[in-house]
Amino acid sequence: MEIVCLGLNHHTAPVEVRERFVVSENKLGAEAKRLCELDGIAEGVVLSTCNRTEYYVAADDHRIAREELREFLQSHAGMRLRAEHLYEMERAEVARHLCRVVSGLDSMVLGETEIFGQVKKAYRAALESGSTSRILNKLFQKAFGVGKKVRTHTGIQEGQTSVGSVAVDLAEKIFGHLRHSRVMLIGAGEMSRTTAKSLLSRGAHSIFVTNRSLDRAEELARELDGQAVRFDDWQRVLEEVDVVISSTGAPHALVDREHVEAVRRKRRFRPLFLIDIAVPRDIDPAVGEIEEVYLYDIDTLQEIAVEAKGHRADQIKACERIIDQELAKSGLFESS
Amino acid sequence: MAQWLLIAATVLAVLGGTLGLLAVRHGYRSRWTVICMLATFVCQLGVLGVRGELRGKCPLGDYGEILAFLAWSLVLFYLVVGPAYRISLLGLFTAPVVTIFQVVAIGLLEANPERVYEVNAWGEAHAAFSVLSYGAFALAAVAALMFLVLNKKLKDHELGSSLFKNLPPVRSLLDSVVRLTALGAGILTVGIVAAFMMRRGEDALPHLVAAMATWAAYLGLLVMHFWRGITPRRMSIGVMSLFVLSLLVFAFV
Repeated sequence: MEIVCLGLNHHTAPVEVRERFVVSENKLGAEAKRLCELDGIAEGVVLSTCNRTEYYVAADDHRIAREELREFLQSHAGMRLRAEHLYEMERAEVARHLCRVVSGLDSMVLGETEIFGQVKKAYRAALESGSTSRILNKLFQKAFGVGKKVRTHTGIQEGQTSVGSVAVDLAEKIFGHLRHSRVMLIGAGEMSRTTAKSLLSRGAHSIFVTNRSLDRAEELARELDGQAVRFDDWQRVLEEVDVVISSTGAPHALVDREHVEAVRRKRRFRPLFLIDIAVPRDIDPAVGEIEEVYLYDIDTLQEIAVEAKGHRADQIKACERIIDQELAKSGLFESS
Repeated sequence: MAQWLLIAATVLAVLGGTLGLLAVRHGYRSRWTVICMLATFVCQLGVLGVRGELRGKCPLGDYGEILAFLAWSLVLFYLVVGPAYRISLLGLFTAPVVTIFQVVAIGLLEANPERVYEVNAWGEAHAAFSVLSYGAFALAAVAALMFLVLNKKLKDHELGSSLFKNLPPVRSLLDSVVRLTALGAGILTVGIVAAFMMRRGEDALPHLVAAMATWAAYLGLLVMHFWRGITPRRMSIGVMSLFVLSLLVFAFV
C-alpha cells in the first residue's frame, strides 16, 4: 500500500483558484468517504483551509491513485487544473510534508498554531466517516506527535508576527486576562478594528469607539458590540479605559501629555496601555514618559513582529532536523 | 544540629534559585525551584524546632534566630502565595533573599542559647507576629522588585528576554504587592497590640517606637494607595524602601 498526496496551497495557487477547491468543515468526512469510492483507493483524508486543500490517500498503486485524484479534483472544482497549481507527493515525501504542515512550517504565517487544530479536525472527520485505516491512522498520529515535539522543542511559535497580535500579547502582559479590561478606539480605521477584534477574542469586555464621524463610530461600535462615543467626549472615557488604540488620519497629535495628566488622579494611577498605529502619530511621545503609561507606536510594534518572524525563520532548520529524525526513527514512511 | 539544618536550608535555597535561573535562561519553567523551596521550608522548621527546644520558648532570642525565623516566614508566604504567580520565577527572586538572611543567620546563631523558664506569652506573641509580618513585607518587596524589572522592560520596549516572557503580568504583580503589604500590616497590628499588653521595661521603648513607626509607614502607604491612589512604580519603590529601612532600624534598635 502506498501513500499519495495531491493538493494546492498558497505557494502554488492564487486565492481565485484555491477558493474553487475549498471543502467546508462539515463536509470533510463525506468528501473523504467519496475518495475511498475511487478505484484503487483504500483510505482518504481531506484537509481544507483558506490556504490549502490537500487529499491524502492510501492506494495500491500510486500512479493510478494520482490519476484518479486529479480527475476527482477537477470534477470537484469544475475547472481544468494547471500543472503549476498542483503538487503531488508519495511515500516518505508525504509524511515529511504532513509533518511540516502540522508544525506550521508550510503556513503563510510561519509557525502559526491554528493549522494543527485544522489537520486534527480533518483527520477526525475522516476517521468518523470510516475513511481511514491502518496506513493513514499511523501517518496522521505520527505527524501529530512530531508536530507537538517541534512546537515544544523549538521556538517556531514564539512571539507574535502581526501588529495586532503583538499589541494583544502586550495587553496581556500588562493586564493579565483581559476580561476586566476596557478598550477605547480613537478612529474607526481597519487596523484598529482588527486589533480591537483580537482584544475582544482574548476576553476584553467593553469597547468604546470614537471617531470624527459619529456614524462611522456607531457602525463600528455595532460590529464590535461596543459603544460609540462623540469625538468631543473621548477624554472623559479615558478615565475609564485600560487600553487605547488610536488610528486616525489626523495630521498632528491628538493625545497630549496634558490629556493624560488631567485624568491620572481620577484613574487612580492605574496602568494605561496606549497603542498608536497612526501615521503621522496620534499620541505625543511625551505621553510615554508618564509613569503608569505604556506607549507603543506602529514602528515599535512592527519591529517586534519582524523580530519574531526572524526568530521563527531561524528555527526552521531545527524543526526540519526533528522531523527527519522522528521519521527516520519510526521507519514507517521511508522511500522504497 | 540547628546550624547544620540552617546550612542545609541555605544550600537548598541556593539550589532552588540556580535551577530557577537556568530554567529562565533556557526559556522553560522548572518545578524544581518550588520543590527546593519546600525542602528549605522543612529544614527551616527543623532549625526553629531545635532552637525552640533549646530556649524553651519561641526561637527569637538572638539575631541569628530572628533572621532564620524571618527567612522561614518569607518562604512560608512564598509557598502560600506562589501559586498565584508563575511559581518558579517568584522563587527565583525569593531564593536570593532567603539565602542572604540565612547566611547572616548562620554566623549570628548563639552556640549555647540561654534557656528560659518563665514565658511571657504577650512578649512571645509580639515577637512572633512581628517577624511573621516581616515575611509578608519581604515577599511584597520581592514582588515589587519583579514589577520594577517588568515595568522597565515594558517602558524601554525590551521584550525579547526570557526573563520578560516569564514574568507575571503587571496587574498580578501589583495586586500581590498590595495584598502582601496589607497582610503584613494586619499581622504587625496584632504584634503591636501584643507589645502593648506585654510586661516591658524602659529599654523596650525604642523598640516599640520603631515597630509603631514601621507599622504607621506601611499603613500610610496603604491608605495613600486606597484613598487617593499612587503610581505603581512609587508604590513598589515605597514597599521596597520601607522593608530595607525597617530591617536596618531593627538591626540597631
